[in-house]
Amino acid sequence: MRSGDARAQILRVIRENLAQGLEPSPPRHLAAPGSSPPVPLSVPESSPPVPLSVPERGEGRRSPSPEGRGGQGVRIQHFTEQLSAVGAQWTFVRSETEAGAALARILTEAGARRVVGSDAPVVQRILQAVGNGIAIDRLEQLSRDDLFACDAGVTTAQWGIAETGTLVLESARERSRLLSLVPPIHVALLSTRCICESLGDALARVSTSSHAITFITGPSRTSDIELTLVVGVHGPQTVHVLLMEES
Amino acid sequence: MTFDRDARAALADGQLRGALRQATTLFGERRRAALATVPDWESARDRARAIKDETLAHLDRYLEEFVANAERAGARVHWARDAAEACDIIGEIAERRGARTVVKSKSMASEEIHLNAALARRGIEPVETDLGEYIVQLAGETPSHIVVPAIHKTKAQIAALFADKLGIAPSDDVATLTAAARAALRRRFAEAELGISGVNFAVAETGTILILENEGNARLTTSLPRTHVALMGIEKVIPRFADLDVFLQLLPRSGTGQVLTAYQSLLTGTKRTPEDEGPEELHIVLLDNGRSRMLASAVTRQALACIRCGACLNACPVYRQIGGHAYGSVYPGPIGAVLSPQLFGLARSAALPYASSLCGACREVCPVKIDIPALLLHLRGQVVERGAGKSRVLERLAFRAYAAVMQRPHVFEWVVGVARRLRIMPPLAAWTKWRDLRPLAPRSFREQWRAGLRDQGGADA
Repeated sequence: MRSGDARAQILRVIRENLAQGLEPSPPRHLAAPGSSPPVPLSVPESSPPVPLSVPERGEGRRSPSPEGRGGQGVRIQHFTEQLSAVGAQWTFVRSETEAGAALARILTEAGARRVVGSDAPVVQRILQAVGNGIAIDRLEQLSRDDLFACDAGVTTAQWGIAETGTLVLESARERSRLLSLVPPIHVALLSTRCICESLGDALARVSTSSHAITFITGPSRTSDIELTLVVGVHGPQTVHVLLMEES
Repeated sequence: MTFDRDARAALADGQLRGALRQATTLFGERRRAALATVPDWESARDRARAIKDETLAHLDRYLEEFVANAERAGARVHWARDAAEACDIIGEIAERRGARTVVKSKSMASEEIHLNAALARRGIEPVETDLGEYIVQLAGETPSHIVVPAIHKTKAQIAALFADKLGIAPSDDVATLTAAARAALRRRFAEAELGISGVNFAVAETGTILILENEGNARLTTSLPRTHVALMGIEKVIPRFADLDVFLQLLPRSGTGQVLTAYQSLLTGTKRTPEDEGPEELHIVLLDNGRSRMLASAVTRQALACIRCGACLNACPVYRQIGGHAYGSVYPGPIGAVLSPQLFGLARSAALPYASSLCGACREVCPVKIDIPALLLHLRGQVVERGAGKSRVLERLAFRAYAAVMQRPHVFEWVVGVARRLRIMPPLAAWTKWRDLRPLAPRSFREQWRAGLRDQGGADA
């Protein structure tokens, strides 16, 4: 099999060149000034690197990290500041009833006529508050063309990242991949308990059993024409976060 | 030499230079503002470089680990020794899946292997979906910047192009132009059977590939079609999932001056159940194409640490004047000047190691601290050793004569004396064309010294 040959040959050439690289150190004048010798990252020579210990799913890992500076209140404020900075909108809600009312208002104000919700039960529940001429579709019944014709997608987000104003969506939790991308409006429901301080915190918490994890920071954007910022290219123009306050 | 000719043509293009100046200056400023948000930028750079060095030193092992984990998650991995092999692999996948249209998100590796032409030869239509790449493809051109492919085009040119190719009413409103591209590309996304993307990072520990972008086209490319092909250079692998943290701090800030790009897609294998969203098949193509050779020495190996942010382009005084096309390679700018000769052969890119003033601005901004000036010098040495550059008989003669004169003080004095009397200037056309060489002093220092400067100077000391 050709690919097998290629694999063997590429790996052989890599090993030969690495072995060669060990012998003569480069002439002094070519050695990179200032570039210190590689710092060992505590990876044993012969055994494979130790995998990150990914916390098991469950309520325990949903609680916010205690190490964040200033605690939860500060983190939530930091998160909303960053959401604004990246051009996303946000609304605090204290119950599913409030979330439904907020969603209805957002959709009506945007003039949305067709909306799709994800398969998350909470999304299905709050969508019931939406009525008055807005058609509600179910994702599993939509063709690609139907999906392209929708005005808004409603999903949850599993995590928020305060320092960057980022939403994290995991495919193992919910079918949110296309709904958070294709319609011009994306509304995401996020528990304030799931806001991490940093990117590193979020990477340590995401469920790596998801085949797709998506980090979303504000609306879709481009500066490809004369560096002029345009919001809403291939993805949503509007990202609205419903922040469910839970203590 | 084509570089000299193309660089001269670029220098004569006032519009191009204006666009370049604006873009590279703005990116430089945004980058500086973005780094200020990282508490310790320097240690982040050191850590990223250490991770890259560690990976490259054991590249065989990390690749095998990545492949095992990606395959366990349902991906199919293919190995390509060179461009032709990679194009064949991808072309055959497309044919087997019955794809007539493929949507592509931005991938420098696909530019490197000239994938679009290879697909077209099989009767498969590749559609670039990144706005900048789409503009460049419609115009029948090539990207001129790693991050902003259409940096060389004005909105008036793009308006004319869209009016011609998309049949829209001419408009110089950027939002209108962008909306027209979105609408046209949505139709292509609706029909595409295969999506091709690049890869920014591949995590050995989990078999995950990560793709960064701002527009959402990479997300559409990797989630709508039934088949996803991800093309990556073998140097893209990093050991651990947690290592993504430092690279996600460095790459967007260095590339576009963003704290984070709008989207990061972390993809691990294929969907787990039929009801899941996403492609049925994920094919990962590992491309060597000259990379493994670069592991042979510590100097050349460091170019494999590059994360393709483009910061060195924006900082380079040469790139800022001539733009990407003059380099005649898919990889322009300082990093292109060191990658191109190593990937595509010294003979084809012998002029590129000289396309630098060695000022070190590239090394200064590089998020993974690649010593590009040292690499350029190393490659210049190779160009001379292998006689790959243009023959420089006169230059060699001149240096031999210079050495002979400089080793003999009396000959030196005599030569300079003659030159002074006859007002001869050294024939350094390439140098003196743009610079004034100071005239020789009427009396040399040695003459003044002998005539009594020694006694006068002694009093002060």
